[in-house]
Amino acid sequence: MEDLLGYLHVVVLPQVIDALIIGVALALVALGLTMIFGLLDVINLAHGDLYMLGGYAAFTVLGWGAGYWSALVLVPILVGAVGWALEELGIRPLLPRADRAIVTLLLTFGVSLILRDIAQVVWGTETHAVAPPFTGIVSFAEVFVPTYRLFVFGIALIAIFATWWLVYRTRLGAVLRATAVDPSMVASFGIPIRLVYGLTFVYGCGLAGLAGVLLSPIYAVFPTMGHDFLVMAFAVVIVGGMGSIIGAVVAAVLLAQVQGLASLWIPPVWAETLVYGVMLLVLVARPGGLFNRLGEA
Amino acid sequence: MLQPNVPPVEPQPSLHAAARVTVGDRLLQALYPPQSSAAQLRWVGFAMLALAAIFPWLGGPFYTRLAIESFLFGAIALSVDILLGYAGLLSLGQATYFGLAAYISALMYLHVTQSFWLVLLAVVATVAVFSLVLGAVAIRAKGVYFALITFGAAEILSKIAHNTRAIGGSDGLIGIPVPHIALLPGVTIDLQSNFVFYHAVLVVLVLIYVGTRRVLNSGFGAVLRAIRDNSDRVPYLGYNSFWYKLLAYVLAAQVAAVGGLIYPLLRGFVAPHLFGFEVSTKAVVMSLVGGVGTLLGPLAGSVIVTFLESVVGSYTERHLLILGVIFIIFVMFLPDGLIGLARRLLATREKAAP
Repeated sequence: MEDLLGYLHVVVLPQVIDALIIGVALALVALGLTMIFGLLDVINLAHGDLYMLGGYAAFTVLGWGAGYWSALVLVPILVGAVGWALEELGIRPLLPRADRAIVTLLLTFGVSLILRDIAQVVWGTETHAVAPPFTGIVSFAEVFVPTYRLFVFGIALIAIFATWWLVYRTRLGAVLRATAVDPSMVASFGIPIRLVYGLTFVYGCGLAGLAGVLLSPIYAVFPTMGHDFLVMAFAVVIVGGMGSIIGAVVAAVLLAQVQGLASLWIPPVWAETLVYGVMLLVLVARPGGLFNRLGEA
Repeated sequence: MLQPNVPPVEPQPSLHAAARVTVGDRLLQALYPPQSSAAQLRWVGFAMLALAAIFPWLGGPFYTRLAIESFLFGAIALSVDILLGYAGLLSLGQATYFGLAAYISALMYLHVTQSFWLVLLAVVATVAVFSLVLGAVAIRAKGVYFALITFGAAEILSKIAHNTRAIGGSDGLIGIPVPHIALLPGVTIDLQSNFVFYHAVLVVLVLIYVGTRRVLNSGFGAVLRAIRDNSDRVPYLGYNSFWYKLLAYVLAAQVAAVGGLIYPLLRGFVAPHLFGFEVSTKAVVMSLVGGVGTLLGPLAGSVIVTFLESVVGSYTERHLLILGVIFIIFVMFLPDGLIGLARRLLATREKAAP
């Protein structure tokens, strides 16, 4: 009994805390994906690469000697701007097409290839380390957590809460939810739904950029980081229900726990496969995911 | 509902258009019967085949082997087209079956047997089982989920291959022997010769193409197209769209597997990247470039993209960038691909000619 408690305390608990932090950061990426899908019917396959751009932008901005806080504000804006260009030039012309779900998916796939290659040209193929702004360790009941990870947890929670507040407690959010249900009705009230689409896309991309900054000191930055993260983020969005904000957060935390705990006992690569297995199970049991779409809840 | 916001389908051409045909138009039509697009495609197909048959005498050994590779990728591009062009399913993971077939083929040659036919049997059986299971899950999930699940499955297989030491890990398997294939008693195909190899693969590809066209022009294909165009109505006609889609998926998986079956014999090695997203993506690009829903287009697309990549690759390492740009140009401006473009050009010329 003593041994078991000790095992839980020393081995399992830190892993749970770690997975919780990663899960919340993962939720940021998944939130953007799910909002963009819920509103525009667009699967943004370039989302992982926007996350990657966020990491690289943080690396570069910090390399110029800027403070961490300014990077935290500046990078999401930069990534949001890239997202704006993508929406304006690529996605907007395709939205009127009847098969927009498939054509925009193909388009963002192409954009993703281009962004990854550009990153390799600009920053090279090697991995770059990003120094965390603080290096201390917080201990709580003999569980040690790096201060920076707690900081990531806090910022991500704030961003998630802000998003929830924006969507469910403001007038802008009401417009957004109404647009998700019936865009032509909203347009007939004189609301510029193009702008609603554009803003949502930019906001989602900004969140991916924020996740890029936050996680870059933990995972370092490399060209395929977005690609690896995207598969996980999609598993999250599918499990949570495409277009569901609450679903994205719950599923992100859940899947991060599955992966984190499983990798205690089985090799990490199989833990990732297990996450995918969970996703397949959810799809079989509830093809629409665990939660409802944006605007329906 | 998956796409609640999608605008209604384009209006059908009205009956008035047919009624407005004047006597003069009818006369012209009688004098110059419009070639059906199928007939045009047939000529394009024969021209491609003729060019392909004499190619090894024109290009050197390097380009002959590159052409073989483009044929193998053509098989995956064809499988993407079966799904996207006929069943309306976008698979971003057809490399799953290319890679699976390549690994099974390689492992069998290295450890089990030198008989091509036994390997073929093993590949067909494994791919059938795997595609039935994955297809059943992915098709149940519908629409864009289908694309994501197929994408994810290929990713996972790639990661497993990358991390399993028993099948070579990230290095893959090398030194795969080239077998003699006994075709008939006394007749063997010697794959050591580029000419023989090339023409053997060409024959296989033509057989696959003709077979696939046969299948898709049958009643089965008609139901598939109906599902693609209006999946809500098909069940009311008494067809269970799930089984039709699943059958199409299994068929497409087998077609993609043919490429994988032969690949190790061409290159002598297999590696995890064969499962990778780059192969899956390339297959989609190839069918987009050639023209989705034409079956012939993807084969032309695979030759064009493979050669373009090789030429561009000799100047720059940025072939992902090039691939991405081609992808975007075709998605945004030429959604019906080169065959579609050729058809439209022919159509406008016909209109202008009389």
